[in-house]
Amino acid sequence: MANVTLSQIKKQYGNTPVIHGVDIEAADGEFVVLVGPSGCGKSTLLRMIAGLETISSGTLKIGDRIVNDLDPKDRDIAMVFQNYALYPHMTVETNMGFSLEHRGGTKTEIAERVKWAAEILDLSNLLKRYPRQLSGGQRQRVAMGRAIVRDPQVFLFDEPLSNLDAKLRVAMRAEIKNLHRKLKTTTIYVTHDQVEAMTMADKIVVMNAGEVSQVGAPLDLYDRPANRFVAGFIGSPSMNFIDGVVENGRFTAPGIDLETPSFTAGETSRQLICGIRPEHLVIGGEGISAEVSLVEPMGSETQVTFSLPEGTIVGVFRDRIAAKPGDILTLGVQTDGCHFFDPLTDLRVE
Amino acid sequence: MSQVSHVVAKSDRPRPLWTIKRRDQIAGMLFIAPQLTGIIVFVLIPLGLVFWYSLHEWNVLANSFKFVGSANYKTLLADPALPEVLTATGIFSAGLVVFNMSLALLIAVLLNQKLWGIVVFRTLFFSPVVVSLVAWTIVWSFLLQNNGGINAVLQTMGIEGPNWLRNPSTAMFSIIVIQVFKNVGLNMILFLAALQGVPKELYEAARVDGASAFKQFRRITLPLISPTILLTSIITIVGSLQVFAQIAVLTQGGPGMSTTVLVYYLYQQAFQFHFFGYGATLSIMLFIIVAVLTFAQWQLRKRIVFYEN
Amino acid sequence: MKTDMSIRMRTMLYGLMCVLLIPFVFPTWWMVTSSVKPISDIFAFPPDLLPRTYDWSTYQRVFELQPFAQQYWNSGYIALLVTAGTMIVSSLAGYAFARIRFPGADAIFMVVLLGLLIPAEVTIVPLFQMFNQWGMINTHWPLILVPVFGAPSVFSTFIMRQFFIALPIELEEAARVDGLGRFTIFRKIALPLAKPALSAVAIFTFLHSWNLFLEPIVFISTPQMFTLPQALTQFTDAYGGAMWNIQLAAATLTALPVLIVFIVAQKQFVEGLAHTGLKG
Repeated sequence: MANVTLSQIKKQYGNTPVIHGVDIEAADGEFVVLVGPSGCGKSTLLRMIAGLETISSGTLKIGDRIVNDLDPKDRDIAMVFQNYALYPHMTVETNMGFSLEHRGGTKTEIAERVKWAAEILDLSNLLKRYPRQLSGGQRQRVAMGRAIVRDPQVFLFDEPLSNLDAKLRVAMRAEIKNLHRKLKTTTIYVTHDQVEAMTMADKIVVMNAGEVSQVGAPLDLYDRPANRFVAGFIGSPSMNFIDGVVENGRFTAPGIDLETPSFTAGETSRQLICGIRPEHLVIGGEGISAEVSLVEPMGSETQVTFSLPEGTIVGVFRDRIAAKPGDILTLGVQTDGCHFFDPLTDLRVE
Repeated sequence: MSQVSHVVAKSDRPRPLWTIKRRDQIAGMLFIAPQLTGIIVFVLIPLGLVFWYSLHEWNVLANSFKFVGSANYKTLLADPALPEVLTATGIFSAGLVVFNMSLALLIAVLLNQKLWGIVVFRTLFFSPVVVSLVAWTIVWSFLLQNNGGINAVLQTMGIEGPNWLRNPSTAMFSIIVIQVFKNVGLNMILFLAALQGVPKELYEAARVDGASAFKQFRRITLPLISPTILLTSIITIVGSLQVFAQIAVLTQGGPGMSTTVLVYYLYQQAFQFHFFGYGATLSIMLFIIVAVLTFAQWQLRKRIVFYEN
Repeated sequence: MKTDMSIRMRTMLYGLMCVLLIPFVFPTWWMVTSSVKPISDIFAFPPDLLPRTYDWSTYQRVFELQPFAQQYWNSGYIALLVTAGTMIVSSLAGYAFARIRFPGADAIFMVVLLGLLIPAEVTIVPLFQMFNQWGMINTHWPLILVPVFGAPSVFSTFIMRQFFIALPIELEEAARVDGLGRFTIFRKIALPLAKPALSAVAIFTFLHSWNLFLEPIVFISTPQMFTLPQALTQFTDAYGGAMWNIQLAAATLTALPVLIVFIVAQKQFVEGLAHTGLKG
């Protein structure tokens, strides 16, 4: 097992840069999730760690070794692909033992390792089957089995759950997390799903347009997003953003006049963006008066869209709401529910 | 600052000579080496030599090889046989392509119906493809004799059949027909695969729209299989220019010059009359014709092909 | 497509197909049956669909008049060598063109594709000269080397390339992570998955070699070295007239084995061809 260190990693295709100097550190045994919208470069980065893409510049270390120029096979990593990439012409057993076969393991060694992995993943009675005879979840587990038999220093996952249906995804999420708890292998996991990132990661790396937007523990990102992008990306439904002015400890915008106890800067009249998570709005508080435009009851909670003089905001409430479109409600914000961002730099302001 | 440390980091680390990329490039070149060598030795060099020969008067029997510049090309243009040869070639290729493609499409549409035992029919329609070409040709030459099977059948219907292969007006027609029945199975299979690739929903939508079966065929089937039609027509035309065995076995270019197509004429000039230089000149012309036809069809696809992946 | 076809419609379709089948099936049928008819019965009128009397002596004569067994062996071993060779050369090249980035790959691919454009007849004169220089006239080398490495194999390379392009690339990436080099990936992952394309290549190549006619008559001059298509045309009497019954017996011997293999394996044949990536 080992830590993985990326320093100033860059990637360009021809003259088009796609990764602009990324620094990431995954400690030994850590579960790091790279998350971001599609096209942000997270998969490219993972493939560079795997050795499937060349690194244009910067250094990549696994343990104490610089591995920039090593073949994937010499990096001591294992990867789980989005489409599983199981060899269709081999049985589950052969699929799982294949890499060991090419690393010169003896037959009994290989059989033992495969048996061990199959037991962990509950695949023991599927070993003689071919991938086409398996369900989606089973294929997923075989792909993981193929990765763990080798006991590599690092696991790489490339959106491994995106081909599963919603229910199975939740189950596999727990299974992967369990597996990590058992094996304690350094893991780098790529996903576009922020729920996956929040629930699985020890550390989340949010990426946007080829750059790292923020690194941190899941709840840190939720509680203190470093910029507008992370604030909008983490959390569902997305954070509401309102353009306004902060003056004398109050945030004002059309239809809005909020007290901002956490933000008491003495400076006068500063243009800022206020971000409020939908779940932090409370009905009957003070500060916002808005017209209900849509009510969506979900059972466990109710999602309400309000229209303001400028734009709309969304609120999520645990209680059943009796409001109808057209009603005017007054809303407040929970303590510490307001995040402020600079409209020019999009950075968090405190 | 970061720029500086970056450069230092890079120079600290000696890059191995055999990077992943370089090793892969070597692998790639090794993989294609046998094919590329073959193409150079058996296609490119011969092609250059053909051109070189075409500038010479070369009679193997007289053991003469002398540079004559464009003389062979002047001979070619003045060759009294050339118009006849080109006409025969044109008739053969055009007749073959039209007959082959329409028959292939007809059979493919028939085989695309859900009927019991359709596989048996498919197998039988395809079977001539695997029968040895010369064997197939010999059988037909027997059937087409003056006292052969075809005329015998015609006689029962009270028709006096011609001597098919010895009559200038029927010899070419006979060769085309023999060749079409021999090879139409290939195109038929490709068409059948294309027909089966047309999404069923399109037909269902057309039926809901009230389109007749004929209209469905013309407005949906044909446009959607047009890439296959184009590709098979290129292959069929280029193939038709190479018809040799059939003519050598059936008519030896006769009667008269009526079935002397370009490749047969080339063979006669080079290997029967031993005019290698002139044969080479004819080869150049054959090459140009194939290249122009292929290029033209490739251009046409922009206009004709409605749909491509 | 429509399952609710009326009986009348179905009868019409069957009728139409049966009529269309006559020119496809009758010649082969007639070749096989006539090869065991006495010569006088071949010309019988009306023609018999089955022989009235069987005369097997024609088959004996086939082997007496020419070294037919030797010629059979020549055709067979050449076709098998050419097929095996083409499968190797074309799958290697097709894989590289589909998957490996190397300098000049696109330009080299265009040059190789030129082979598709060149009928064998165009280069036959210089090839004759080249093989003459190398002392390979009246040997089987030209019939093996040119198809395996030259223009005829380009079509196979194209088929293989189209197939490999469509294979999911993740499989090969997984194999790289699993520790395989380029060649092992090719041999253990790509090639086993390319069976449909390989069988199409094998069928095309075998038939092409088995039917080859111009090249043998240009390069080969003694009956011991003949291949079957060439030998078939040589069964003539002292006056150059065709010995029909013997020719038909020899033709049957040439055609029947391939035909039987085809009927047994027709599914693989037809599907192999249908999936050659020629669908456009």
